[in-house]
Amino acid sequence: MSAPEPAVPAPRSPLAGVATTGRYGAAGGTPLAIAEIPAAIVQLAARRGRAGDLARAVSGAFGLDLPPPGRAASARGIDAIWIQPDAWLLLAPRGAEGALAAEVKRAAGDAGSVVDQSHGKTLMSLAGAAARRVMAKGCRLDLDAPAFGPGRAAVTQIAQIGCVVHQRDAIPTYGLVVPSSLAIPFFEWLTSSAAEFGYEVG
Amino acid sequence: MTGRAFRIAGGGHIDRSRTVRFRFDGKEHSGHPGDTLASALLAAGVRLVGRSFKYHRPRGIYSAGPEEPNALVEIGTGARRTPNTRMTTAEIHDGLVAESQNRWPSLRFDAMAATSVAARLLPAGFYYKTFMWPASFWEKVYEPMIRRAAGLGRAATEPDPDHYEAAHAHCDVLVVGAGAAGLAAARAAGEAGARVLLAEQDFLLGGGLLLEPAHEAWRGETLAAIIALPNVTVMPRTTVFGYYDHNMLGALERVTDHLATAPDHVPRQRSWTIRAREVVLATGADERLVAFPDNDRPGVMLAGAARAYVARFGVVPGRRVVLFTNNDAAYATADTLLAAGADSATIVDFRPFGTAAAAARARGIEVLPGSEVIGVDGGTSLYAVQVRRRGTWGSTQVPADLLCVSGGYSPAVHLASQARTPLAWDARIAAFVPGEAARQRSAGGARGVFGIGAAAHDGAAAGRAAAIATGCRVGSEFVLPGRNGDADPTVMPCWEIAAPGKAFVDLQNDVTAADIRLARQEGYEHIEHAKRYTTHTMATDQGKIGGLVGAAVLAEARGLPVEQVGIPTYRPYVTPVTWGAVAAHHVGKAFAPIRRTMLHDWHVRNGADFMEAGLWLRPGFYPQKGESPWDSVLREARAVRRAVGICDVSTLGKIDVQGKDAGVFLDRLYMNTFSTLAIGKARYGIMLREDGMVFDDGTTTRLAEDHFFVTTTTANAARVMEHMDLYAQTVWPDLDVQYCSVTDQWASMSIAGPKARSTVARAVAGLDLSNEGLPFMGVADATVAGCPVRVFRISFSGELAYEIATPAGYALAVWEAVLAAGRADGIVPYGVEALGLLRIEKGHVAGSELNGHTTARDLGLDRMAKKRGDFVGRVLAERPGLVDPGRPTFVGIRSVDPKRQVRQGAHLVEPGSFKSLGWVSSVTRSVELGDAWIGLALLTDGKARIGSRLVAAFPLKDEAVEVEIVSPHFIDPENARVRA
Repeated sequence: MSAPEPAVPAPRSPLAGVATTGRYGAAGGTPLAIAEIPAAIVQLAARRGRAGDLARAVSGAFGLDLPPPGRAASARGIDAIWIQPDAWLLLAPRGAEGALAAEVKRAAGDAGSVVDQSHGKTLMSLAGAAARRVMAKGCRLDLDAPAFGPGRAAVTQIAQIGCVVHQRDAIPTYGLVVPSSLAIPFFEWLTSSAAEFGYEVG
Repeated sequence: MTGRAFRIAGGGHIDRSRTVRFRFDGKEHSGHPGDTLASALLAAGVRLVGRSFKYHRPRGIYSAGPEEPNALVEIGTGARRTPNTRMTTAEIHDGLVAESQNRWPSLRFDAMAATSVAARLLPAGFYYKTFMWPASFWEKVYEPMIRRAAGLGRAATEPDPDHYEAAHAHCDVLVVGAGAAGLAAARAAGEAGARVLLAEQDFLLGGGLLLEPAHEAWRGETLAAIIALPNVTVMPRTTVFGYYDHNMLGALERVTDHLATAPDHVPRQRSWTIRAREVVLATGADERLVAFPDNDRPGVMLAGAARAYVARFGVVPGRRVVLFTNNDAAYATADTLLAAGADSATIVDFRPFGTAAAAARARGIEVLPGSEVIGVDGGTSLYAVQVRRRGTWGSTQVPADLLCVSGGYSPAVHLASQARTPLAWDARIAAFVPGEAARQRSAGGARGVFGIGAAAHDGAAAGRAAAIATGCRVGSEFVLPGRNGDADPTVMPCWEIAAPGKAFVDLQNDVTAADIRLARQEGYEHIEHAKRYTTHTMATDQGKIGGLVGAAVLAEARGLPVEQVGIPTYRPYVTPVTWGAVAAHHVGKAFAPIRRTMLHDWHVRNGADFMEAGLWLRPGFYPQKGESPWDSVLREARAVRRAVGICDVSTLGKIDVQGKDAGVFLDRLYMNTFSTLAIGKARYGIMLREDGMVFDDGTTTRLAEDHFFVTTTTANAARVMEHMDLYAQTVWPDLDVQYCSVTDQWASMSIAGPKARSTVARAVAGLDLSNEGLPFMGVADATVAGCPVRVFRISFSGELAYEIATPAGYALAVWEAVLAAGRADGIVPYGVEALGLLRIEKGHVAGSELNGHTTARDLGLDRMAKKRGDFVGRVLAERPGLVDPGRPTFVGIRSVDPKRQVRQGAHLVEPGSFKSLGWVSSVTRSVELGDAWIGLALLTDGKARIGSRLVAAFPLKDEAVEVEIVSPHFIDPENARVRA
């Protein structure tokens, strides 16, 4: 009952054995950068009629303004992405198991419902000058300015897989969040689409 | 052919400094970069290039573009062999291999050409009339015979070794076609600031400009200006093939087909989905044939095509030329050919003597006004043309090796027509032109504005208007070609020349004018009926050059003007599209994404035989050396009944439900009550559809006052989420409830069997597993190997069982820890097949019983319904038909001869009867009953028949197996084991 707790082992990536570091695809030029980013991911939804309270609570605790539809916001290493009415994904570098969820839950109190999705969702990033052309091979959305740009986000389908797309900067760098059980087919689509330009898995 | 070269010394858009070598029908030929297969073969003196579809008539090159009906070849070899490729658009490259089609043993001596002799016996509709009797002959005799005789090229039989891509593009203005109108439109829209896509099917941009040395400077300047605009994307070799709703268009980009060796990592072709705010259709116009006897012979060619071969490719397609025309524009062909060194040109003008004829005569060209071509002399090549003065009898023979034909030009309205743009008749050009449409405009030849200057002006105006429509400022002024050089586009309609012989209206499908009349005679007089009866315009060229001619023949037969008969509706694809490009990335293993649990690799390493469950791959069983599938399944199930087994159940749907009203929400969705469930307890629940049928089942756990954890079947996970969305958003928006899928967040494994407690106790830290500590349907948090887990004491197999859930990244560590902990107990991993066996023995319903046709009462689950309060499906479940006591109810069956297999889907009947009393929903061999075949069934008066015998009949296999009707609970009906 009160045996000493062994340390929590590092969680295994759904891309273990698939996303192997190295340079692939066409040679020459600057390759695109593709990586899985270990992240703590939390789904946060406002309780009915409490969106304002929740926004204040999150702002107070994390300095983060929960973004409106189609947008993402970042503060103190946490990204918030609007994913559906009154609901957001919060992403942060992976820390202790369940830590972000617990922190957000504490902040949200009874104004929000918090669900840990750190294992359920997998974050990948795609960066490089040709990144938009790679995205065009699966993403139906218009990712050109002014329709899209840094700080914009969307929930869409890519290669038959539900995906959250978040443009992080002007390079462009895209954060791509997919269900972990579909991380491998998504990664296969991503790398096959990037092969034409050459890519590096980091 | 020997003697003088057909290639002229200068001019055109080919690179004479380089030579490209390719093979056609085994013979090596050469051409130059810039050549198509058609132009290179014409330069080599080749005139016969194929055999026709139905009559195997010799055919030559008819056009110089994608409208080509005749010159279809197989390109490539082996797995890359592509049939029915248009020679007139295929670029040559070193090493290209092309073969003619539809001939045997050779192109010149084709055995099937004998069908031409029997042509009288092969009229339109001949298949329908001739191959009717006896019916049994259709599949075995007629169809193979017809298929052998017809069909043109042979598709490759090996898997396609190339890869393809799909891609999406967005723009303010899409310009389709880069002729004078398209280039001007793209420049105007681009300079106005619009985001422009310019798609051109050809590998060179310019369209008709490529035939006009006088406008070459303008083409160059305009192209340079366009390419310099960062907001304009130019896509050559890109055919826009379909125009769909909301200005969505499909296009095919041929990325590497023209290269001798394709670079690595580049797709062969790319299919584009283009979403455009405004569309400018600058698709030009297709020249029409005239239906006169033998108008399909090699040596007959559209007038504009002949001009294109000289002006663009530097090839003279004939030396003694007859030009048959009903318009002025075609006269330029005669001049072009003579200037390129043709020996003679005779113009046969359908119209009375006019100014163009006078001017031509003044230039020294022979003109026969008011005349018509009534036939040609020649077989595989042409030596003379029969010309007659209109309204007279008899004819004169004019020696010729090339007959150029122009029946006028029809605007290429295919895309506009697909978009349902109304078409209007333009009598001046005797053709349909597109009318007004929202967010779409046609420009230049595509709407009957012919001539370089006029088309360029029209295109510029359309491009500017399109840009303005997207909110752009207007700021573009540039020089356009003058309209002075444009020929008068007026035609005198000339569709068919009445004379004996086969006059084709559709060359690719071998449809003659007589076929059209026959269709009308037999009652198929609507253009769409005549089309289907004769196959007119149904070939891959969709009748680009003869479609209207056939319609005119039909109109004349019906005594109507052609505009009243109309043309058949155009459909995607404008030109054929490689299927691989449509499938793109999603072929083979990527056909649909495969969902894997976090234990997938372990299952693979341990020899699992996988089965598909929706998108998931689940281990069906783990065969050991020498085991048959049943051996494995029975071994795994036996281990669960006698010791302990572990099964990956991560694929079950999991939904996290929170909110003040979460309990109420679940009460309304499920037949059961969840708001009374104690925290830390699980309860089995049944969900109905609104119509009262059973929808899904699963256990739901209460984690906190306002927090539930719902599980669904693997198959229904997404549907249950949709069901929740529907009710939460539209029916009870007042409820405070938030939910989301956590299927992938949690991996879960079931540890079942009499020794499950012993195994789990060794694996788990921080948990009292006694009946007091964790009773049946209890839930508690703990750790395994340091990983956080949640332990549920629930059972699907009927044994003492625990389900351990862990955040998915720890699945492998937990699984391996439990396996290690269970080694002493003889733990065995079991798959979905054993899981099914166990649940059938226990009498648990699953997908086969929850099939959308069963009620809770049918399945004996109606006592779970709450006494008070409404829930989805309650009202309609009480419909008379659903509470009829005569409905089949849930029973078990066992084969009287335990070795005899009962099949799922078998009907239960009285011996000797054909009246179905019910059906078998699930079957298995049973470990509990000594490997005997048992099953579950839905049976009329099921309860009353327990103990009796029926026959499980499976007529498809001619099987009848005697079965005993028993309780569906083959084991432990008291539920003692799960509470042990």
